[in-house]
Amino acid sequence: MRLPGLLRTTPFRLTLLFLALFAAAAAAFLLYIYEVTVGEVSRFADAGILREMQSLQTVYSAGGDEALKASLIDRNESGRPYFYLLLDGKGQRIWGTISHSPTGQFTDRDTAWMYFDVNGKISGRRLARGERQRLPGGEVLFVGADFSEAQDYIVKIVQALWGAGALIVLLGLGGGLIVSRNVSRSIAGLNAVVAAVQDGDLEARVELRGAKDEFEELAVGLNDMLDRLERSIGSLRHAGDAIAHDLRSPLSRLRARLEVALLEVETGKGDPKEALAQALEDTEGVLRTFSAVLAIARLQAAGSAPDQKPFDPGGLAADMVELYEPVCEARDLEFQAEIARGLSVRGNREFIAQALSNILDNAVKYTPAGGAVMLRVRRRSSGDVEFSVTDTGPGVPEADRARVVERFVRLENSRNLPGAGLGLSLVAAVAEAHGGMLEVDEGPGMFSGKGPGLRVALVLPRAG
Amino acid sequence: MRILIIEDDVEAGAAMARGLAEAGHETVHAPDGVQGLKAATDGEFDVLVVDRMMPNMDGLTMVSNLRREGDQTPVLFLSALGEIHDRVTGLKAGGDDYLVKPYALVELVARVEALARRRETGAVQTTLRVGDLEMDLIGRTVHREGTEIDLQPREFQLLEYLMRNAGQPVTRTMLLEKVWEYHFDPQTNVIDVHVSRLRSKIDKGFERPMLQTVRGSGYRLDA
Repeated sequence: MRLPGLLRTTPFRLTLLFLALFAAAAAAFLLYIYEVTVGEVSRFADAGILREMQSLQTVYSAGGDEALKASLIDRNESGRPYFYLLLDGKGQRIWGTISHSPTGQFTDRDTAWMYFDVNGKISGRRLARGERQRLPGGEVLFVGADFSEAQDYIVKIVQALWGAGALIVLLGLGGGLIVSRNVSRSIAGLNAVVAAVQDGDLEARVELRGAKDEFEELAVGLNDMLDRLERSIGSLRHAGDAIAHDLRSPLSRLRARLEVALLEVETGKGDPKEALAQALEDTEGVLRTFSAVLAIARLQAAGSAPDQKPFDPGGLAADMVELYEPVCEARDLEFQAEIARGLSVRGNREFIAQALSNILDNAVKYTPAGGAVMLRVRRRSSGDVEFSVTDTGPGVPEADRARVVERFVRLENSRNLPGAGLGLSLVAAVAEAHGGMLEVDEGPGMFSGKGPGLRVALVLPRAG
Repeated sequence: MRILIIEDDVEAGAAMARGLAEAGHETVHAPDGVQGLKAATDGEFDVLVVDRMMPNMDGLTMVSNLRREGDQTPVLFLSALGEIHDRVTGLKAGGDDYLVKPYALVELVARVEALARRRETGAVQTTLRVGDLEMDLIGRTVHREGTEIDLQPREFQLLEYLMRNAGQPVTRTMLLEKVWEYHFDPQTNVIDVHVSRLRSKIDKGFERPMLQTVRGSGYRLDA
């Protein structure tokens, strides 16, 4: 239990603030209830006493203190619920149901409300309420009412009000503690993950509770962000390893050739020129690989392709047909195109051209003579624009299709062909940078011992 | 030709100077933008080779200043920044061509020569003539020894570029950039196939081949 820590949390402070506001409102409400219940009881009793007093004063005015005394006795006999006490001008008791005036505090005023203890006819000290008035003849008349029954009622109400107040504070405090503990627990989970990530543990994830609140939303967002981060760091790490791996062998070859060339120049035998030419070619290959990796890394880092503008995909495809048609013819490949006109797509034309060029390069490279390559541009029913290249080459086994998109992945049967295995990785990066996707699946199928071919599609989301 | 190399990397500048000297050009080297601007203003040069990123004054600012003064000497930018928008800013600042580092020396020499050549033939031409090959730029026709040669639009553009740079090597990258306007290298030999198609149209049936392959760099159209 992290209670001391909990007391310092923002939710708990907010709880206290709201509790204070709530308690103030509740106090005002309870005060009002007190006023209308307890207040009403005493007002009601006071009104009765006042009426009795007025009635007795009328009797006194008509017949003096003798008549008053008679009336008092009469009233007491008839069971009226009042106490009476009549004193003469010197303060001596003339008649009454109580032995003496409850207090001596009335000398200055004729009328007063007060509480007093009752003994005499009704034993014990009981709370009562009464009024004393000095009569014109100097006598003092006291009329009181037993308040003990109302007192029980009032005490109960006051107790209930105090109880309600305490309950409000307790419930508020308890509820606040529970709420702040839940909130703190959610926040603590998030904080723990952030701290773990700061310490380098990229695999830390927030445990989801299945609630659909904003903390869950934040947790899901944080997890997604970490997934993405982990993927891109992983892919960068992979790229770094791959570059190191892929550049190491041509660089070692280059170094060896230069050493040999140097040796040959020194000893005057062999042909250093050829070694130098080969070294230059190796350098070219290293640089090409490097540029491709850099282009992919930049696209991935930027997240979206720069300078995106609407353009006609059919026009781009026609340019590609024009560029690749001769090379297909030279390799005895039938090149067909099926281009939908009047489409529009938003993107970086140069990057998309390069992606198409990479796909076409692959088709031309891997399709044996006598085969066919087809470039197709169409609008899907979803409105997305699809560029696809289908060939009649050996294709890619289903198990390898996801893998060929990764950097530097070259399938066994392509190792003897030129290339660094970056072509489709760049296409995938271009697709992702346009919010689109790359699809790799089977071509037209087996046909007279050839095939099944490959179909590579670059799908771009519809413009706007 | 006199060429001003403005490049802060002294070794790279020296290699460039060697390559250009090998091709028969005279070079002057300036190590930063401020000195480069002064040298360009004071001397007469056919082409300026300007590194984009340099101390004191970067290449873009230098060339903008030069252009504001009315100097129209062709500028070839060299840069490690190869994205499309980097090219565009370079060309907007007044550059005439853009070469991304690292580059092959033959590529640099070919581009410098193409820039100088473009300046020489500055006036608007309606016909191009190289040896017995004649191109009518208005009628869009090509004749060799009086025989009309039927070319596709792209073949026409390709031949036009080769004719404008006749006698000098042009690289595959240059053709791809200037004729097709792509800034990437296809893995397959698409350009070679286009050139050999053009060659079969302009050289087939004629005694002397005009379109030569230059080993290690590209092609050259000889008179």
